Amino acid sequence: MLKSTPARLVRLLALSFACLSTIAGAADPIRIGWLSSLTGPLSSAAIAENQGVQFAVDEINAGGGINGRKIELITRDTSGEPTKAVNMAKQLAFVDKVDFIIGPVNSGESLATVPIVAKANIPNLVIGTIDELVDSQKFPLAFRAINTNHQWIEAANDYAIKVLKKKKIAVIGDTSGYGTAASKVAQDLLEKAGVKPVYVVLVDPNKTDLTDELNKARAAGAEVIMPWSAATGLLARLFNTRGDMGWDVPIVGHPAMMAPPVRPLLNKPEYWKNAFAAGYTSTTYDANGKLPPRTQALMDKIRPKLGKGEIDFMFWWIALGYDTVKIVEYSVKTAGSTDPAAIGKVLEGTKDFPGVYASYTWTKENRNGYPDHAIVMNVAGSFKDGSFKAAPH
Amino acid sequence: MLVALITGLATGGLYAAAALTYNVMFSTSKVLSVTTGHISMLGGVFGAWFISTLGWPIPVALLGSIVVGAVFGLLTDFIAIRRVLARSDEHLWLLSTLALATMVQQAAGLWWGTEPKPFPRLIPQDFSAGLADQKYWLPIVVAVLLAVGLELFYRRTLYGKLFVAMSEDAFAARARGIPTGRIRAMSYVIAGAMGGLAGFMAGQLTFAYFALGLTLTLNGFIALAVGGLGSNVGALVGGAALGILSAVATYFVGGEYQQTISVGLLMIVLLLKPAGLFGSQSVRPV
Amino acid sequence: MKASSRTVGLILVLAALVALPWWSGDLYKLHLAALICAYWVLIGGLNLVVGYSGQLSIGHVGLLAIGAYCFTILAGTHGVHPALAVFAAGGLCAMCGFLLGLPSLRLPGFYFAMATLAFALIVAEITLAQGDLTGGGVGLSVPGFPKPFDTPQGSYWLILSIAAAVTWLTWNVARHTWGRGLVAVRDSAITAQAVGVPVFRAKLTVFVFSGFTAGVAGALFAVLQSYITPDTFVFDLGLFFFVCIIIGGRGHIIGPAIGTIVLTALPEMVAPLAKLGNFFYGVLLLVVVLLVPEGIGRVFELLVERIKPRLGESHVVKPDLERLAKAIDSARSAP
Repeated sequence: MLKSTPARLVRLLALSFACLSTIAGAADPIRIGWLSSLTGPLSSAAIAENQGVQFAVDEINAGGGINGRKIELITRDTSGEPTKAVNMAKQLAFVDKVDFIIGPVNSGESLATVPIVAKANIPNLVIGTIDELVDSQKFPLAFRAINTNHQWIEAANDYAIKVLKKKKIAVIGDTSGYGTAASKVAQDLLEKAGVKPVYVVLVDPNKTDLTDELNKARAAGAEVIMPWSAATGLLARLFNTRGDMGWDVPIVGHPAMMAPPVRPLLNKPEYWKNAFAAGYTSTTYDANGKLPPRTQALMDKIRPKLGKGEIDFMFWWIALGYDTVKIVEYSVKTAGSTDPAAIGKVLEGTKDFPGVYASYTWTKENRNGYPDHAIVMNVAGSFKDGSFKAAPH
Repeated sequence: MLVALITGLATGGLYAAAALTYNVMFSTSKVLSVTTGHISMLGGVFGAWFISTLGWPIPVALLGSIVVGAVFGLLTDFIAIRRVLARSDEHLWLLSTLALATMVQQAAGLWWGTEPKPFPRLIPQDFSAGLADQKYWLPIVVAVLLAVGLELFYRRTLYGKLFVAMSEDAFAARARGIPTGRIRAMSYVIAGAMGGLAGFMAGQLTFAYFALGLTLTLNGFIALAVGGLGSNVGALVGGAALGILSAVATYFVGGEYQQTISVGLLMIVLLLKPAGLFGSQSVRPV
Repeated sequence: MKASSRTVGLILVLAALVALPWWSGDLYKLHLAALICAYWVLIGGLNLVVGYSGQLSIGHVGLLAIGAYCFTILAGTHGVHPALAVFAAGGLCAMCGFLLGLPSLRLPGFYFAMATLAFALIVAEITLAQGDLTGGGVGLSVPGFPKPFDTPQGSYWLILSIAAAVTWLTWNVARHTWGRGLVAVRDSAITAQAVGVPVFRAKLTVFVFSGFTAGVAGALFAVLQSYITPDTFVFDLGLFFFVCIIIGGRGHIIGPAIGTIVLTALPEMVAPLAKLGNFFYGVLLLVVVLLVPEGIGRVFELLVERIKPRLGESHVVKPDLERLAKAIDSARSAP
C-alpha cells in the first residue's frame, strides 16, 4: 500500500502532464526517435538509411511539417550493441518522450528494444528482418517496414527449386547470430518445400578459406550453393574459392553477396557471375534499364545531397529510411494526432501505402508490411548506381 | 582433407609468426604484450592501404609495412613498457599493453572501417593454382624464415648475444655494462618489424581487417604456450599444431566449436607439461 | 565518533539510493541506476579477484552470459520460480568458476588473463551453437520478476538490495584476515605463502565467489535487458568490467564502485564518448596505469587527506602518566 501511493502519484502527475501537452499540442514538434548504429561493425546500412531518414525529415519540415507541426528527429547511435540500444530506447521513451521510434537497424538490437518500446506504448517502425520481431498480440504498436527473413529465403528457395530446377542444395551459414538463425530457417523452409539440403555447414565469418566446405558440398552432389550470411568477407571468399576451383555452381542467397564491398575482394570480376540474391522490385532495372518511377523520383531528388558520381551502396537502404518517415507523416495526417492508439488504428488499417521501397499493407493480425510480390531475385555483379538487374527467369 | 592440412598450416604460419614476435619481446623484457597481434593487423591494413590507395610498388609497400610495425613496436615500448617496468608491480604491463591494444584496434576500426578490405596480389600468379597458391605458402615461408633468422641472429651476432644475455639475467647483464633499456627498445623494434612483415605476407589469407589483432594475440599466445615460452622451434611447432588442429576440427565438426577445440589443446598441454613442448622454463620464484 | 559519522553517511547514501525512484525523475535514469547496480553485483565480486587477489580476469562476461542464459532458460522455458532461478544461475556460475579456476589459477598472470579471454569466447561459441537450448542467434526473451518486483521501481529496489548485500559481503571479506591475505597474495605470492596464507585456496575461493555474483548479475542483467542474444555478451563488456575496477582502484571497494557508476553513466551523458567507445576506455586505462596505478580511488583518498588531515593518530608510544597515577592512587587507597 505504501509503495503504490507514490507510484499512483507519479502516474497521476504523468497523466496531467500528458493532458497539458496535448492541449498545448498544436504547434509542438513531432518527435521521432531514430535508433541507428552509425558506428560499429554494422554501420554501412545504418549510414545509408540515416541519409534517407534525414532527407525525408528535411523535406517534410521544409514543406511546413505535418499538420503544421515540425518534425524533431532525435538520432541515437547504438553502435550495434544491444545493451546500448536498450539504454537508448529507454532514454527516447522516458526522457525525450518521443512520439515514434524508428529502428534499431540490426535484428539483434531490435529483439531487445521492441518489447521495451511496446511497453512504453510508443509506435515503433521495425526495420530488422528476423521473423520473431513483430507480434500483433505482444507488441501491438510495432509495425515492420522491411521484408522478413522468411521472405528473402522463400524467394531464394523458390528461385533455386523452380527456376534453376535444382533439388540438391548446400546451405552455408556463418557462426554469427544472424548466420545461425538464417541458415536454420533456410533449412526448415527447404524441407517444407520437400527438398532436404544435401549439405549444411556453419563457418566462422573470419575463416580464411572455404575450399574444404565447397569440396564437401561438391562431393555431396550439390547443384546450388545457398549462403546465408551478411559477412561480406566470407561471401567474397566463397566466390573466390568457387572461381579458383573452376566449379561453375550457381550461388543463390542473401543480398549481402551482391553488395558493392564484395567486388574489390574478388580475385577476378567474373567470379561474381552465376550468382543470384534476393532483392526488391523497387531497386531492380526493368528490361529497358529503367527503375520504377517512385524510386527514380526519389533518386533524382536526393542525388545532389549524396555528392557527385554514381551511388556506391544499395539504394534500397535510402528508400527504406525515407519511407519510415513518410509512414510517420501518413499516419499522423490520417489520425489527426500523435495519440498512440489512433496511430496504431491507422497503421493496422493501412492498405497499399505507396512507399518508395514498396507498398505497405498492415492488418489487425499481420504486422509485416512488406508485400511478397515486391521481392525479386537479382543478378549479383549487376550492381550499377545503387540498383540491380533482375535474375533471368 | 589435404586442403584442411594446407590451410591449417598457412594460418598456423601466421600464428607461429605471432608467437615468434612474443618471444623477441619477452626475451629482453619478460613481458607478453597484448599488442602482439595488433602489430600484424597494422602490417596488413597499412600494406593494403599503401598498395591499393597510395599506389606504392609492392617492395616499397612491404618496406612501409615493416616500418609501420617497427614504429608501433617502439611506441609499445615507449608508452606501455618503459615506465611500467620501472615499477615493481608485476602485472601493470598487462594492463598498459591491453590499453594500447584496445586503442589501436578501435582507432583502426574508425579509420579503416570495420569491413574486411582486399589485400592485393603480391606475386603474379593465376588464381587457379589451387593449393600452390601464394596465399598459403607465403605465411608458412615467412614464419620459417623468421625463425631461422632469429636463431642465426641469436647465435651469430653480438646484439643477438646481448638479447640472450638479457633474457638469462637482465640484472647481471646490466651489471656487465649492457645498456638494457636500449637493447629492450631494439628488441621491440625488431619484434614490430617481424609482426609487420608477417601481417603483410598473410594479408591475402586474412584480408585487411581491423579486428584481426585480438584473435592473433590469443592464437599466437596459444601457439607460444603450447610450444614453450622462449623457444623458437616451439613457436613453429605450436603454431603449426594449432593451425592444423583447428582446420581439421572444423573439417570434421564444423565451424561452431573452433575456439573450444583450440583452447582445449592449450589446456591439455599446459596440464601435462606446464612449460610447453619445447620450453625450458626455470622460474625463479623469489 | 568516527565510526558513527561514517554510519550516518552510509545511511544517507543508502536512503538516497532507495529513494531514487522518486527523485530521479524518469524511468530511463532508473533503468541506468538498476543497470549500474546489476553491473556492480558482478564487479563487486570480480573486485575481490582483480583488485584484491590480483588475478586479471578479462573474461567475466562469459560467466555473466552463463548466468543470464541459465536464469532465462530455467525461469522462461521451464517455468521455475525466478528467485530459485537466480540462485541456480549463481550456483551454476560458481561451479563454472571453480572448473575454470582449478586449472587456470595455477598459471602465471598473462596465462590466466588469456585463459579467461578464451573462456569468454568459448561461452559465446557454445551459446550460438546450442541453438535448441539458447535460441541460437535469435536469442531468448527474458521473463520479468514476479510481483511485487514487476514494476521498474520494484525491480530497481530488488537489484539495489542485492547489490547492497554483495557490497556488504565483499566488504566483510576485504577487511578481515581474508582480505589482508588476498592483498598479500596480490603483492607477493611468495611472501604470502611464507606467512601461511593458503595462496591457491584463497585465489580459488574468491574466484568461485566472483563466479556466483557474476551468475546472479547475469540473471539481473538479463531481466533488465528483457531479451538476450549472444550479441549482448560481447567481449567489450568483459573489458568494461575489468576497466571499471582498474580505474577505480585496486584494493578498494569504493573506488571500483565509483568507476562503475562513472563509466556506465558517462558515455550515456556525453554522446561523443559513446562514439569513441573502446578507444575511450583504452585511453582511460592507459592514463590510469601510467599516472596513478592505484586508481582514481587513491586520488580521492589523497585529496581527502589533504583537505582533512588525519588528526590525533600519533604512533609515538608514550606512557599515560595521569592514568598511571590514578591507578596507583586507587591501589593505595584500597585496603
